[in-house]
Amino acid sequence: MIHFTDVNKWFGPLHVLNSINLHVKQGEVVVVCGPSGSGKSTLIRTINQLEAINNGTLIVDGMDLSDRKTDINKLRAEIGFVFQQFNLYPHLSVINNITLAPIKLRNLSRKDAEEQAMQLLTRVDLAEKRDAYPAQLSGGQQQRVAIARGLAMKPRIMLFDEPTSALDPEMIGEVLAVMQDLAKSGMTMVVVTHEMGFAREVAHQVVFMDAGTILEEAPPADFFCNPQHDRAKQFLNQLLTPMHGALCS
Amino acid sequence: MLSYKFDWSIILTGQYHDWLVSGLKVTLQLSVAGIILSFLLGLVVAVMRMSHLKVFRWSACVFLEFTRNTPLLVQIFFWYFGSYKLLPTVVNEWLNSTSFEFAAGLIALTIYTSAFIAEDIRSGVLSIPKEQMEAAQSSGFSYLRAMQFIILPQAVRITVPPLVNQFLNLAKNSSLAMTIGVMELTYQARQVESYTFKGFEAFTAATLVYLAISIIITFLVDQYNERVLKLHKAA
Repeated sequence: MIHFTDVNKWFGPLHVLNSINLHVKQGEVVVVCGPSGSGKSTLIRTINQLEAINNGTLIVDGMDLSDRKTDINKLRAEIGFVFQQFNLYPHLSVINNITLAPIKLRNLSRKDAEEQAMQLLTRVDLAEKRDAYPAQLSGGQQQRVAIARGLAMKPRIMLFDEPTSALDPEMIGEVLAVMQDLAKSGMTMVVVTHEMGFAREVAHQVVFMDAGTILEEAPPADFFCNPQHDRAKQFLNQLLTPMHGALCS
Repeated sequence: MLSYKFDWSIILTGQYHDWLVSGLKVTLQLSVAGIILSFLLGLVVAVMRMSHLKVFRWSACVFLEFTRNTPLLVQIFFWYFGSYKLLPTVVNEWLNSTSFEFAAGLIALTIYTSAFIAEDIRSGVLSIPKEQMEAAQSSGFSYLRAMQFIILPQAVRITVPPLVNQFLNLAKNSSLAMTIGVMELTYQARQVESYTFKGFEAFTAATLVYLAISIIITFLVDQYNERVLKLHKAA
Protein backbone atom coordinates (compact mmCIF):
# COMPACT_ATOMS: atom_id res chain seq x y z
CA MET A 1 0.00 0.00 0.00
CA ILE A 2 2.81 2.41 0.95
CA HIS A 3 6.33 1.68 -0.25
CA PHE A 4 9.34 3.83 0.63
CA THR A 5 12.52 2.78 -1.18
CA ASP A 6 15.74 4.66 -0.38
CA VAL A 7 13.87 7.90 0.21
CA ASN A 8 15.88 10.98 1.13
CA LYS A 9 14.84 14.47 2.02
CA TRP A 10 16.76 17.55 3.08
CA PHE A 11 15.65 20.81 4.65
CA GLY A 12 18.58 22.91 3.49
CA PRO A 13 21.66 21.21 4.97
CA LEU A 14 19.54 19.13 7.37
CA HIS A 15 19.13 15.51 6.28
CA VAL A 16 15.62 14.94 7.66
CA LEU A 17 14.93 11.61 5.97
CA ASN A 18 17.93 9.38 5.47
CA SER A 19 17.57 6.34 3.16
CA ILE A 20 14.12 5.44 4.36
CA ASN A 21 12.86 1.95 3.50
CA LEU A 22 9.40 1.19 4.79
CA HIS A 23 6.56 -0.95 3.50
CA VAL A 24 3.04 -0.76 4.83
CA LYS A 25 0.63 -3.49 3.74
CA GLN A 26 -3.07 -3.04 3.24
CA GLY A 27 -4.96 -3.21 6.55
CA GLU A 28 -1.79 -2.75 8.54
CA VAL A 29 -1.44 -0.28 11.42
CA VAL A 30 2.05 1.17 11.74
CA VAL A 31 3.02 3.37 14.67
CA VAL A 32 6.00 5.68 14.17
CA CYS A 33 7.75 6.88 17.31
CA GLY A 34 11.00 8.55 18.24
CA PRO A 35 12.37 11.68 19.87
CA SER A 36 11.26 15.08 18.59
CA GLY A 37 13.16 16.22 15.54
CA SER A 38 13.73 12.64 14.43
CA GLY A 39 11.78 13.11 11.18
CA LYS A 40 8.58 11.23 12.06
CA SER A 41 6.25 14.07 11.11
CA THR A 42 8.17 14.71 7.90
CA LEU A 43 7.96 11.00 7.09
CA ILE A 44 4.18 10.86 7.44
CA ARG A 45 3.75 14.16 5.58
CA THR A 46 5.59 12.81 2.54
CA ILE A 47 2.95 10.09 2.15
CA ASN A 48 0.37 12.61 0.93
CA GLN A 49 3.05 14.98 -0.34
CA LEU A 50 2.54 17.80 2.11
CA GLU A 51 6.33 17.46 1.93
CA ALA A 52 8.01 16.45 -1.32
CA ILE A 53 10.83 13.92 -1.26
CA ASN A 54 14.20 14.76 -2.84
CA ASN A 55 15.10 11.30 -4.14
CA GLY A 56 14.25 7.64 -3.89
CA THR A 57 10.87 6.20 -4.78
CA LEU A 58 7.65 6.47 -2.85
CA ILE A 59 4.66 4.54 -4.14
CA VAL A 60 1.34 5.07 -2.39
CA ASP A 61 -1.76 3.11 -3.35
CA GLY A 62 -0.14 2.24 -6.68
CA MET A 63 0.73 5.85 -7.52
CA ASP A 64 4.35 6.91 -7.86
CA LEU A 65 4.92 10.17 -6.01
CA SER A 66 8.23 10.83 -7.72
CA ASP A 67 6.42 10.83 -11.09
CA ARG A 68 5.42 14.37 -12.03
CA LYS A 69 2.41 13.05 -13.96
CA THR A 70 0.79 11.63 -10.82
CA ASP A 71 -2.38 13.56 -10.01
CA ILE A 72 -1.53 14.54 -6.47
CA ASN A 73 -5.01 15.89 -5.67
CA LYS A 74 -6.58 12.59 -6.69
CA LEU A 75 -4.14 10.71 -4.47
CA ARG A 76 -4.76 13.02 -1.52
CA ALA A 77 -8.50 12.45 -1.82
CA GLU A 78 -7.82 8.75 -1.13
CA ILE A 79 -5.81 9.52 2.02
CA GLY A 80 -7.25 10.93 5.22
CA PHE A 81 -4.89 13.11 7.24
CA VAL A 82 -5.41 14.01 10.90
CA PHE A 83 -3.30 16.85 12.31
CA GLN A 84 -1.98 17.53 15.78
CA GLN A 85 -3.85 20.85 15.85
CA PHE A 86 -7.08 19.41 14.27
CA ASN A 87 -7.23 22.21 11.67
CA LEU A 88 -10.99 22.17 11.31
CA TYR A 89 -12.41 24.95 9.15
CA PRO A 90 -13.51 27.55 11.73
CA HIS A 91 -16.05 29.24 9.44
CA LEU A 92 -18.03 26.04 8.86
CA SER A 93 -20.28 24.07 11.19
CA VAL A 94 -19.32 20.52 12.14
CA ILE A 95 -21.57 18.96 9.50
CA ASN A 96 -20.26 21.31 6.78
CA ASN A 97 -16.67 20.59 7.76
CA ILE A 98 -17.41 16.95 7.00
CA THR A 99 -19.54 17.36 3.87
CA LEU A 100 -17.47 20.03 2.07
CA ALA A 101 -15.00 17.73 0.35
CA PRO A 102 -17.49 14.96 -0.59
CA ILE A 103 -19.85 17.54 -2.11
CA LYS A 104 -17.21 19.54 -3.98
CA LEU A 105 -14.80 16.76 -4.95
CA ARG A 106 -16.97 13.64 -5.18
CA ASN A 107 -20.09 15.43 -6.45
CA LEU A 108 -22.26 13.90 -3.74
CA SER A 109 -25.67 15.52 -3.31
CA ARG A 110 -26.03 17.53 -0.10
CA LYS A 111 -28.60 15.03 1.15
CA ASP A 112 -26.37 12.00 0.62
CA ALA A 113 -23.32 13.78 2.01
CA GLU A 114 -25.20 14.80 5.15
CA GLU A 115 -26.56 11.30 5.64
CA GLN A 116 -23.06 9.89 5.41
CA ALA A 117 -21.70 12.63 7.70
CA MET A 118 -24.31 11.80 10.33
CA GLN A 119 -23.27 8.13 10.23
CA LEU A 120 -19.67 9.20 10.78
CA LEU A 121 -20.62 11.60 13.56
CA THR A 122 -22.54 8.81 15.27
CA ARG A 123 -19.49 6.61 14.94
CA VAL A 124 -17.31 9.20 16.72
CA ASP A 125 -20.15 9.80 19.20
CA LEU A 126 -20.79 13.45 18.28
CA ALA A 127 -24.11 13.30 16.42
CA GLU A 128 -25.60 15.99 18.66
CA LYS A 129 -22.88 18.48 17.65
CA ARG A 130 -23.78 18.56 13.97
CA ASP A 131 -24.59 22.29 13.93
CA ALA A 132 -21.91 23.43 16.38
CA TYR A 133 -18.89 25.42 15.24
CA PRO A 134 -15.35 24.18 15.93
CA ALA A 135 -14.74 26.95 18.48
CA GLN A 136 -17.61 25.54 20.57
CA LEU A 137 -16.00 22.10 20.89
CA SER A 138 -13.34 20.73 23.21
CA GLY A 139 -10.03 19.60 21.74
CA GLY A 140 -11.01 15.96 21.93
CA GLN A 141 -14.31 16.64 20.19
CA GLN A 142 -12.58 18.69 17.49
CA GLN A 143 -10.14 15.88 16.85
CA ARG A 144 -12.96 13.35 16.54
CA VAL A 145 -14.68 15.64 14.04
CA ALA A 146 -11.37 15.88 12.17
CA ILE A 147 -11.24 12.08 11.99
CA ALA A 148 -14.83 12.00 10.70
CA ARG A 149 -13.88 14.64 8.11
CA GLY A 150 -11.00 12.47 6.96
CA LEU A 151 -13.22 9.39 6.74
CA ALA A 152 -15.90 11.22 4.74
CA MET A 153 -13.83 10.83 1.56
CA LYS A 154 -13.84 7.04 2.10
CA PRO A 155 -10.05 6.97 2.16
CA ARG A 156 -7.97 3.84 1.61
CA ILE A 157 -5.32 5.09 4.03
CA MET A 158 -5.55 7.19 7.21
CA LEU A 159 -2.54 9.15 8.45
CA PHE A 160 -2.35 10.55 11.99
CA ASP A 161 0.32 13.09 12.89
CA GLU A 162 0.50 13.19 16.71
CA PRO A 163 -3.30 13.24 16.99
CA THR A 164 -3.37 13.39 20.80
CA SER A 165 -0.37 15.60 21.55
CA ALA A 166 -2.41 18.81 21.77
CA LEU A 167 -5.09 17.30 24.01
CA ASP A 168 -5.73 17.43 27.72
CA PRO A 169 -4.99 14.04 29.28
CA GLU A 170 -8.64 13.16 29.92
CA MET A 171 -9.50 13.69 26.26
CA ILE A 172 -6.78 11.47 24.86
CA GLY A 173 -8.74 8.32 25.62
CA GLU A 174 -11.80 9.28 23.57
CA VAL A 175 -9.67 9.97 20.48
CA LEU A 176 -7.62 6.78 20.86
CA ALA A 177 -10.84 4.78 21.22
CA VAL A 178 -12.05 6.07 17.86
CA MET A 179 -8.69 5.24 16.27
CA GLN A 180 -8.68 1.77 17.79
CA ASP A 181 -12.16 1.18 16.44
CA LEU A 182 -10.97 2.30 13.02
CA ALA A 183 -7.98 -0.03 13.13
CA LYS A 184 -10.27 -2.96 13.93
CA SER A 185 -12.34 -2.17 10.85
CA GLY A 186 -9.27 -2.96 8.74
CA MET A 187 -8.19 0.54 7.81
CA THR A 188 -4.58 0.97 6.70
CA MET A 189 -3.11 3.44 9.19
CA VAL A 190 0.17 5.19 9.83
CA VAL A 191 0.22 6.89 13.23
CA VAL A 192 2.90 9.16 14.62
CA THR A 193 2.35 9.13 18.37
CA HIS A 194 3.91 8.99 21.80
CA GLU A 195 1.01 6.88 23.08
CA MET A 196 2.92 3.67 23.62
CA GLY A 197 -0.14 1.97 25.14
CA PHE A 198 -1.92 2.47 21.83
CA ALA A 199 1.10 1.15 19.93
CA ARG A 200 1.20 -1.94 22.13
CA GLU A 201 -2.52 -2.64 21.74
CA VAL A 202 -3.22 -1.72 18.16
CA ALA A 203 -0.08 -1.56 16.02
CA HIS A 204 1.10 -4.40 13.80
CA GLN A 205 4.49 -2.77 13.41
CA VAL A 206 6.31 -0.16 15.46
CA VAL A 207 8.87 2.00 13.69
CA PHE A 208 11.48 3.82 15.73
CA MET A 209 13.20 6.81 14.17
CA ASP A 210 16.12 8.95 15.22
CA ALA A 211 17.94 11.69 13.30
CA GLY A 212 16.10 10.96 10.06
CA THR A 213 16.82 7.25 10.06
CA ILE A 214 14.63 4.25 10.82
CA LEU A 215 16.61 2.44 13.51
CA GLU A 216 14.15 -0.26 14.33
CA GLU A 217 11.04 -1.81 12.85
CA ALA A 218 9.35 -4.63 14.73
CA PRO A 219 6.04 -5.96 15.99
CA PRO A 220 5.16 -4.23 19.29
CA ALA A 221 5.91 -7.25 21.46
CA ASP A 222 9.47 -7.40 20.11
CA PHE A 223 9.94 -3.65 20.12
CA PHE A 224 8.88 -3.13 23.73
CA CYS A 225 10.39 -6.31 25.24
CA ASN A 226 13.49 -6.70 23.20
CA PRO A 227 14.62 -3.47 21.52
CA GLN A 228 17.76 -4.08 19.48
CA HIS A 229 19.17 -0.62 19.20
CA ASP A 230 20.73 1.31 22.11
CA ARG A 231 18.99 4.52 21.08
CA ALA A 232 15.63 2.73 21.16
CA LYS A 233 16.36 1.24 24.60
CA GLN A 234 17.32 4.67 25.91
CA PHE A 235 14.14 6.22 24.40
CA LEU A 236 11.90 3.58 25.92
CA ASN A 237 13.55 3.85 29.32
CA GLN A 238 13.14 7.60 29.42
CA LEU A 239 9.60 7.53 28.15
CA LEU A 240 8.11 4.65 30.01
CA THR A 241 9.97 3.68 33.10
CA PRO A 242 6.79 3.38 35.17
CA MET A 243 4.83 1.51 32.49
CA HIS A 244 7.55 -0.53 30.91
CA GLY A 245 6.52 -3.72 32.57
CA ALA A 246 2.94 -3.29 31.43
CA LEU A 247 3.97 -2.75 27.82
CA CYS A 248 6.15 -5.84 27.73
CA SER A 249 3.93 -8.67 28.82
CA MET B 1 -26.11 91.91 5.82
CA LEU B 2 -26.56 88.61 4.06
CA SER B 3 -28.15 89.20 0.69
CA TYR B 4 -28.45 85.50 -0.27
CA LYS B 5 -32.01 84.22 -0.17
CA PHE B 6 -32.36 80.52 0.59
CA ASP B 7 -34.79 78.66 -1.60
CA TRP B 8 -34.94 75.00 -0.64
CA SER B 9 -38.04 74.40 -2.71
CA ILE B 10 -36.02 74.13 -5.94
CA ILE B 11 -34.32 70.97 -4.75
CA LEU B 12 -37.43 69.45 -3.22
CA THR B 13 -39.79 69.67 -6.20
CA GLY B 14 -39.85 70.45 -9.88
CA GLN B 15 -37.37 70.11 -12.71
CA TYR B 16 -34.20 70.68 -10.67
CA HIS B 17 -35.33 68.13 -8.12
CA ASP B 18 -35.77 65.65 -10.98
CA TRP B 19 -32.24 66.38 -12.21
CA LEU B 20 -30.80 65.62 -8.82
CA VAL B 21 -32.82 62.40 -8.55
CA SER B 22 -31.65 61.24 -11.96
CA GLY B 23 -28.09 62.09 -10.87
CA LEU B 24 -28.58 60.03 -7.73
CA LYS B 25 -29.69 57.06 -9.85
CA VAL B 26 -26.52 57.22 -11.94
CA THR B 27 -24.37 57.56 -8.81
CA LEU B 28 -26.05 54.49 -7.32
CA GLN B 29 -25.59 52.53 -10.55
CA LEU B 30 -21.90 53.45 -10.65
CA SER B 31 -21.43 52.63 -6.96
CA VAL B 32 -23.26 49.33 -6.85
CA ALA B 33 -21.78 48.03 -10.11
CA GLY B 34 -18.37 49.36 -9.09
CA ILE B 35 -18.46 47.73 -5.65
CA ILE B 36 -19.44 44.33 -7.07
CA LEU B 37 -16.98 44.41 -9.97
CA SER B 38 -14.05 45.82 -8.01
CA PHE B 39 -14.56 43.21 -5.29
CA LEU B 40 -14.51 40.38 -7.85
CA LEU B 41 -11.52 41.82 -9.71
CA GLY B 42 -9.79 42.42 -6.37
CA LEU B 43 -10.25 38.74 -5.46
CA VAL B 44 -8.75 37.64 -8.78
CA VAL B 45 -5.78 40.00 -8.49
CA ALA B 46 -5.17 38.96 -4.87
CA VAL B 47 -5.09 35.28 -5.84
CA MET B 48 -2.80 36.03 -8.81
CA ARG B 49 -0.50 38.05 -6.55
CA MET B 50 -0.09 34.98 -4.31
CA SER B 51 0.17 32.46 -7.14
CA HIS B 52 3.07 30.02 -7.39
CA LEU B 53 3.44 31.01 -11.04
CA LYS B 54 5.78 33.91 -11.67
CA VAL B 55 3.79 35.17 -14.67
CA PHE B 56 0.71 35.71 -12.55
CA ARG B 57 2.63 37.16 -9.62
CA TRP B 58 4.47 39.62 -11.82
CA SER B 59 1.50 40.77 -13.84
CA ALA B 60 -0.46 41.29 -10.62
CA CYS B 61 2.43 43.37 -9.22
CA VAL B 62 2.63 45.53 -12.34
CA PHE B 63 -1.14 46.03 -12.25
CA LEU B 64 -1.07 46.98 -8.56
CA GLU B 65 1.81 49.44 -8.90
CA PHE B 66 0.27 51.16 -11.91
CA THR B 67 -3.19 51.51 -10.45
CA ARG B 68 -2.28 52.42 -6.89
CA ASN B 69 0.36 54.96 -7.82
CA THR B 70 -1.44 57.05 -10.42
CA PRO B 71 -4.28 59.51 -9.81
CA LEU B 72 -7.80 58.24 -10.33
CA LEU B 73 -8.63 61.30 -12.43
CA VAL B 74 -5.82 60.50 -14.85
CA GLN B 75 -7.07 56.92 -15.08
CA ILE B 76 -10.60 58.13 -15.82
CA PHE B 77 -9.25 60.38 -18.60
CA PHE B 78 -7.11 57.53 -19.89
CA TRP B 79 -10.07 55.19 -20.29
CA TYR B 80 -12.32 57.88 -21.74
CA PHE B 81 -9.97 59.84 -24.01
CA GLY B 82 -7.16 57.33 -24.47
CA SER B 83 -8.34 53.76 -24.59
CA TYR B 84 -10.72 53.97 -27.55
CA LYS B 85 -7.94 55.17 -29.86
CA LEU B 86 -6.63 51.62 -29.84
CA LEU B 87 -9.94 50.18 -30.99
CA PRO B 88 -11.13 49.70 -34.58
CA THR B 89 -13.33 52.44 -36.11
CA VAL B 90 -16.43 50.23 -36.17
CA VAL B 91 -16.21 49.69 -32.45
CA ASN B 92 -15.67 53.40 -31.93
CA GLU B 93 -18.78 54.32 -33.86
CA TRP B 94 -20.76 51.89 -31.81
CA LEU B 95 -19.24 53.23 -28.60
CA ASN B 96 -20.17 56.79 -29.54
CA SER B 97 -23.76 55.72 -29.93
CA THR B 98 -23.81 54.31 -26.40
CA SER B 99 -23.10 55.97 -23.09
CA PHE B 100 -19.40 55.29 -23.36
CA GLU B 101 -18.65 57.84 -20.64
CA PHE B 102 -20.53 55.70 -18.11
CA ALA B 103 -18.60 52.60 -19.15
CA ALA B 104 -15.26 54.42 -19.05
CA GLY B 105 -16.04 55.84 -15.60
CA LEU B 106 -17.09 52.44 -14.29
CA ILE B 107 -13.99 50.74 -15.71
CA ALA B 108 -11.68 53.34 -14.15
CA LEU B 109 -13.40 53.22 -10.74
CA THR B 110 -13.46 49.41 -10.77
CA ILE B 111 -9.81 49.00 -11.70
CA TYR B 112 -8.59 51.70 -9.33
CA THR B 113 -10.51 50.37 -6.33
CA SER B 114 -9.75 46.71 -7.09
CA ALA B 115 -6.05 47.33 -6.49
CA PHE B 116 -6.68 48.46 -2.92
CA ILE B 117 -9.19 45.66 -2.34
CA ALA B 118 -6.70 43.10 -3.65
CA GLU B 119 -4.08 44.22 -1.15
CA ASP B 120 -6.59 44.15 1.72
CA ILE B 121 -7.71 40.64 0.79
CA ARG B 122 -4.12 39.49 0.44
CA SER B 123 -3.28 40.64 3.94
CA GLY B 124 -6.39 38.80 5.12
CA VAL B 125 -5.26 35.60 3.41
CA LEU B 126 -1.77 35.92 4.89
CA SER B 127 -3.30 36.04 8.36
CA ILE B 128 -5.02 32.65 7.90
CA PRO B 129 -2.81 29.92 9.40
CA LYS B 130 -1.07 27.89 6.69
CA GLU B 131 -2.42 24.71 8.29
CA GLN B 132 -5.85 25.59 6.84
CA MET B 133 -4.41 25.26 3.33
CA GLU B 134 -2.67 22.02 4.33
CA ALA B 135 -5.91 20.60 5.72
CA ALA B 136 -7.79 21.53 2.55
CA GLN B 137 -5.11 20.11 0.26
CA SER B 138 -5.00 16.92 2.33
CA SER B 139 -8.67 16.40 1.50
CA GLY B 140 -7.82 16.63 -2.20
CA PHE B 141 -8.65 20.28 -2.90
CA SER B 142 -6.41 21.92 -5.48
CA TYR B 143 -4.76 25.20 -4.51
CA LEU B 144 -7.41 27.29 -6.27
CA ARG B 145 -10.38 25.35 -4.95
CA ALA B 146 -8.93 25.44 -1.43
CA MET B 147 -8.69 29.22 -1.85
CA GLN B 148 -12.28 29.35 -3.10
CA PHE B 149 -13.95 27.24 -0.42
CA ILE B 150 -11.71 27.46 2.62
CA ILE B 151 -9.17 30.30 2.60
CA LEU B 152 -10.96 33.23 0.92
CA PRO B 153 -14.23 32.87 2.89
CA GLN B 154 -12.21 33.18 6.09
CA ALA B 155 -9.96 35.93 4.75
CA VAL B 156 -12.82 38.07 3.44
CA ARG B 157 -14.53 37.93 6.83
CA ILE B 158 -11.58 39.44 8.64
CA THR B 159 -11.02 41.89 5.78
CA VAL B 160 -14.47 43.43 6.14
CA PRO B 161 -13.49 46.65 7.99
CA PRO B 162 -10.86 47.75 5.42
CA LEU B 163 -13.19 46.66 2.61
CA VAL B 164 -15.87 49.03 3.90
CA ASN B 165 -13.37 51.87 3.51
CA GLN B 166 -12.70 50.89 -0.09
CA PHE B 167 -16.42 50.68 -0.85
CA LEU B 168 -16.97 54.13 0.68
CA ASN B 169 -14.09 55.56 -1.32
CA LEU B 170 -15.53 54.10 -4.49
CA ALA B 171 -18.97 55.62 -3.87
CA LYS B 172 -17.43 59.02 -3.15
CA ASN B 173 -14.90 58.82 -5.98
CA SER B 174 -17.73 58.15 -8.43
CA SER B 175 -18.24 61.96 -8.35
CA LEU B 176 -15.06 62.31 -10.44
CA ALA B 177 -16.91 60.70 -13.34
CA MET B 178 -18.61 64.06 -13.90
CA THR B 179 -15.37 65.25 -15.51
CA ILE B 180 -16.01 63.03 -18.52
CA GLY B 181 -19.69 63.94 -18.68
CA VAL B 182 -21.29 61.14 -16.68
CA MET B 183 -24.50 62.75 -15.46
CA GLU B 184 -24.24 61.58 -11.87
CA LEU B 185 -25.14 63.40 -8.70
CA THR B 186 -22.30 65.93 -8.58
CA TYR B 187 -22.73 66.71 -12.28
CA GLN B 188 -26.42 67.39 -11.75
CA ALA B 189 -25.82 69.50 -8.64
CA ARG B 190 -23.40 71.57 -10.72
CA GLN B 191 -26.06 71.89 -13.43
CA VAL B 192 -28.66 73.05 -10.94
CA GLU B 193 -26.18 75.62 -9.64
CA SER B 194 -25.47 76.88 -13.18
CA TYR B 195 -29.12 77.31 -13.99
CA THR B 196 -30.32 78.76 -10.67
CA PHE B 197 -27.23 80.11 -8.89
CA LYS B 198 -28.57 78.21 -5.89
CA GLY B 199 -25.18 76.62 -5.21
CA PHE B 200 -25.65 76.32 -1.47
CA GLU B 201 -28.89 74.37 -1.75
CA ALA B 202 -27.71 72.17 -4.61
CA PHE B 203 -24.45 71.12 -3.01
CA THR B 204 -25.98 70.78 0.44
CA ALA B 205 -28.40 68.33 -1.10
CA ALA B 206 -25.57 66.46 -2.84
CA THR B 207 -23.54 66.37 0.39
CA LEU B 208 -26.43 64.92 2.38
CA VAL B 209 -27.12 62.30 -0.26
CA TYR B 210 -23.46 61.16 -0.32
CA LEU B 211 -23.53 61.03 3.46
CA ALA B 212 -26.65 58.87 3.36
CA ILE B 213 -25.14 56.50 0.78
CA SER B 214 -22.01 56.06 2.91
CA ILE B 215 -23.99 55.45 6.08
CA ILE B 216 -26.14 52.86 4.32
CA ILE B 217 -23.08 51.00 2.97
CA THR B 218 -21.48 50.96 6.43
CA PHE B 219 -24.72 49.79 8.00
CA LEU B 220 -25.23 46.94 5.52
CA VAL B 221 -21.69 45.65 5.88
CA ASP B 222 -21.86 45.93 9.67
CA GLN B 223 -25.06 43.89 9.67
CA TYR B 224 -23.42 41.20 7.59
CA ASN B 225 -20.32 41.23 9.74
CA GLU B 226 -22.25 40.97 12.98
CA ARG B 227 -24.22 37.99 11.72
CA VAL B 228 -21.03 36.19 10.73
CA LEU B 229 -19.11 37.07 13.88
CA LYS B 230 -21.99 35.85 16.02
CA LEU B 231 -21.60 32.41 14.47
CA HIS B 232 -17.85 32.39 15.09
CA LYS B 233 -17.89 33.68 18.61
CA ALA B 234 -20.85 31.63 19.78
CA ALA B 235 -18.49 29.65 21.98
